[in-house]
Amino acid sequence: MTAINEFSVAVQRRFGRQRLRKFGLGLIPFIVLITLWHMNSIFVWFEPVEIPPIADVWGAIFWLQSDCPGILAAIEGHNGCQLTNNISSSIARVILAMVVGVPLGVAFGIMAGMNRVVSAYLEPIGVFMNSVSGIAWIPLAIVWFGVGWETTLFIMLNTIFWLLFFNTMMGVRAVPKVLIQGVQTLGGSRLDVILHVYLPGAMTSIITGLRMSMGFGWRALIAAEMIGGDSGLGFMIFVSSAEFKTEEVFLGVILISLIFLATDRWILVPLEKWTIERWGLVWKPT
Amino acid sequence: MATEAKLIVQGLAHHYPDEYTGESVHALQDINLQIHENEFVAIVGPSGCGKTTFLNIIAGLLPYREGRAMVDGVEIRGPGPDRGVVFQEHAILPWRTVNRNIGHGLELRRVPKQERERRVQEYVDLVGLSGFEDRYPHELSGGMKQRVAVARTLCADPVIMLMDEPFAAVDAQTRITLQDELNRVVMATKKTILFITHSVEEAAFLGDRCIVFSRRPGKVKAEIKIDIPREERLWKDMVNNTRFTEARDEILRLVRSEVTNDDDG
Amino acid sequence: MTTVDTAPIRRKSFKKMITDSRAIQLVILLIGVLILWAIISAVIERPDRYLPSPLTTLFSSVDLLQKGVLTSFYADTLTRLVIGSILGIGLGIPFGLLLGLNRNIADMFYPLMNFFQSVSGIAIFPVIVIWFGNSNTTVMIVILYTAFFPIAFNVLSGVRSVPMRYISAARTLGATRFQIVKDVLLPGAMPSVAIGSRLSIGFAWRAVIAGEMLAGQAGLGNMIFAGQELDNTAQIILGMMLIGLTWIMLDHYLLRPLESDTIERWGLVQR
Repeated sequence: MTAINEFSVAVQRRFGRQRLRKFGLGLIPFIVLITLWHMNSIFVWFEPVEIPPIADVWGAIFWLQSDCPGILAAIEGHNGCQLTNNISSSIARVILAMVVGVPLGVAFGIMAGMNRVVSAYLEPIGVFMNSVSGIAWIPLAIVWFGVGWETTLFIMLNTIFWLLFFNTMMGVRAVPKVLIQGVQTLGGSRLDVILHVYLPGAMTSIITGLRMSMGFGWRALIAAEMIGGDSGLGFMIFVSSAEFKTEEVFLGVILISLIFLATDRWILVPLEKWTIERWGLVWKPT
Repeated sequence: MATEAKLIVQGLAHHYPDEYTGESVHALQDINLQIHENEFVAIVGPSGCGKTTFLNIIAGLLPYREGRAMVDGVEIRGPGPDRGVVFQEHAILPWRTVNRNIGHGLELRRVPKQERERRVQEYVDLVGLSGFEDRYPHELSGGMKQRVAVARTLCADPVIMLMDEPFAAVDAQTRITLQDELNRVVMATKKTILFITHSVEEAAFLGDRCIVFSRRPGKVKAEIKIDIPREERLWKDMVNNTRFTEARDEILRLVRSEVTNDDDG
Repeated sequence: MTTVDTAPIRRKSFKKMITDSRAIQLVILLIGVLILWAIISAVIERPDRYLPSPLTTLFSSVDLLQKGVLTSFYADTLTRLVIGSILGIGLGIPFGLLLGLNRNIADMFYPLMNFFQSVSGIAIFPVIVIWFGNSNTTVMIVILYTAFFPIAFNVLSGVRSVPMRYISAARTLGATRFQIVKDVLLPGAMPSVAIGSRLSIGFAWRAVIAGEMLAGQAGLGNMIFAGQELDNTAQIILGMMLIGLTWIMLDHYLLRPLESDTIERWGLVQR
């Protein structure tokens, strides 16, 4: 066997033929798209202001960082490092909102779900709060906090909290009573029941809530940054759009998408695998 | 009979408001019964006679309004590890492996890990689940899940083990296997057991004493002793054992009379 | 001797009926919320700016109604929602179907679609605005974009999850490729069309509000945005409540029943 054959077989064994096939196939539209994009710069089917050349988008990375004195300064948040600042602002808000909003939402959700009467009364509130989408809160948030990071953080926090609260509450409610009784007859205290039964029992719903939080929350954050923010990726593309700097907008949009995909793939999916898939609580399509 | 009874029930009664009419429904009336150490007591009766209600009261999952119920001299006030329960539906936690489910009671009591693991392994082997220690419930059959449930309860070392129709949800073949196994386990652990079933055969097969409940409101209608040593309680032998068949037929007659409203019991 | 239970006429006692009734619970909840709202509004400083009382909000709505503006805002928003959803779903279903028919094509386009879906209508807005300006067209495009993906994905997976045995059965009866698509795959995908449609409309609804806010086009979204600019907080709160209520009405009384009915009727595929 030639070296190429051996290499190919080794790669196939390592990654699995199906995965490779899917990966390869999935790559094709991207390649086609990028090719068309590049050809656009040559044939100018659309003006550069509408579809900027790839090189410009790539160049925008450096242009936005041009006043940045170096990596250390970028980490410290130097004024001139526009791109890194905006990225870190957005990500910081996401992290903060998740770290605060998820435990709060889950905790309240469990407390509400444990008691049937309480949950019956709180359910409509949860439904209503989730129906007023996070985005609709933006003008009110601006009234309360003004334009700035407080507003953007609040919007995402708010969205996450209500989503997790409602989902957790419904998940807790659905835990079969016999599971709780089982732990009680083993001598479990109230806290034991919460940690060992309610929390894992509601995990499917909680993860659904997490998924939705990432989706809706992230979108609400971008919108909030656009309308009521003064930093962040949303703010950046909004301003760039007003200045017709399309290459910066494209860059920002691509970054937003990549960040979202990364969190989904590297945080959410592993979390799902580690919990509900292991426990056999997920419906898998045939 | 020198030993003090493990479970003492005197004049127990229970009623609850009917969901629809609001009137009081009397589920149990004037129940008197005692269970001694190492006894296997089976309760049979027609549907709705209150046997599950009775078990729930003893388990502490249901408060009782009249009478007294005591385990080891202590009044029953709520659920606790002294009265372990094996439920009908699978009450083992789906998110814990077999090992972690069986060891749950010990975990709640903060038993050190090494000791816990040792005891868990004992019970895993006892109920015949060796090799499945790291499996999750969804990977197990119905019969295996119930074995985990039994092991879990036993491992927590209760004073008395309450079993609420634990084999009702499995198929007939598995049921017979589980009954034989339960006998084996009882011989090995010498536990005190209160067993609820609506299968007369099962009650006679397993019970040292069978208590027949009447129709609602449930009262103790009769008590039938079955004097067969546990070592001899194997299905292949029991079907030829006249003590068994006579007791079973008598119990069947008693239960039937409750169902059909004949008043010759 | 107690009597044997013959089936008695089961009717809940009046008292139980009242305490159990959903409607009564909601009313109690509503009253509780209103009281809480009024109290908070009364104790904070500058309530008119930060949290106008329920009454103020009510007057504001009457005022807007009188000017005839409220109904027109509502109509604008709903029109955009309907048109945008129809367009998005109308494009999404065929796309999803086509993709679902061939495994290779599905695998080919899945990552690309995933990528574009993650861009989201909100993020794509600045690009569309450069192309089409702050206009109604922009908002419509954003809605269309947002509504497209959920339904496309759902139909795609719906078609793919029709059990092989149905397809095999049809083949053994001598069905042509076209007939298999028409008589097995299409009906089999109906439940996912229903589910996907509901998701799409939900996303579209959020996109309408956001789009109106961002592009300054008249509608509910713009109403709350304008409320902030005009320092009319009552208008903001009114708008938010209307948005929430409208979605609840839409979702619970129209979309979910439609979805369940469709799944019941067409439920070839067991979920």
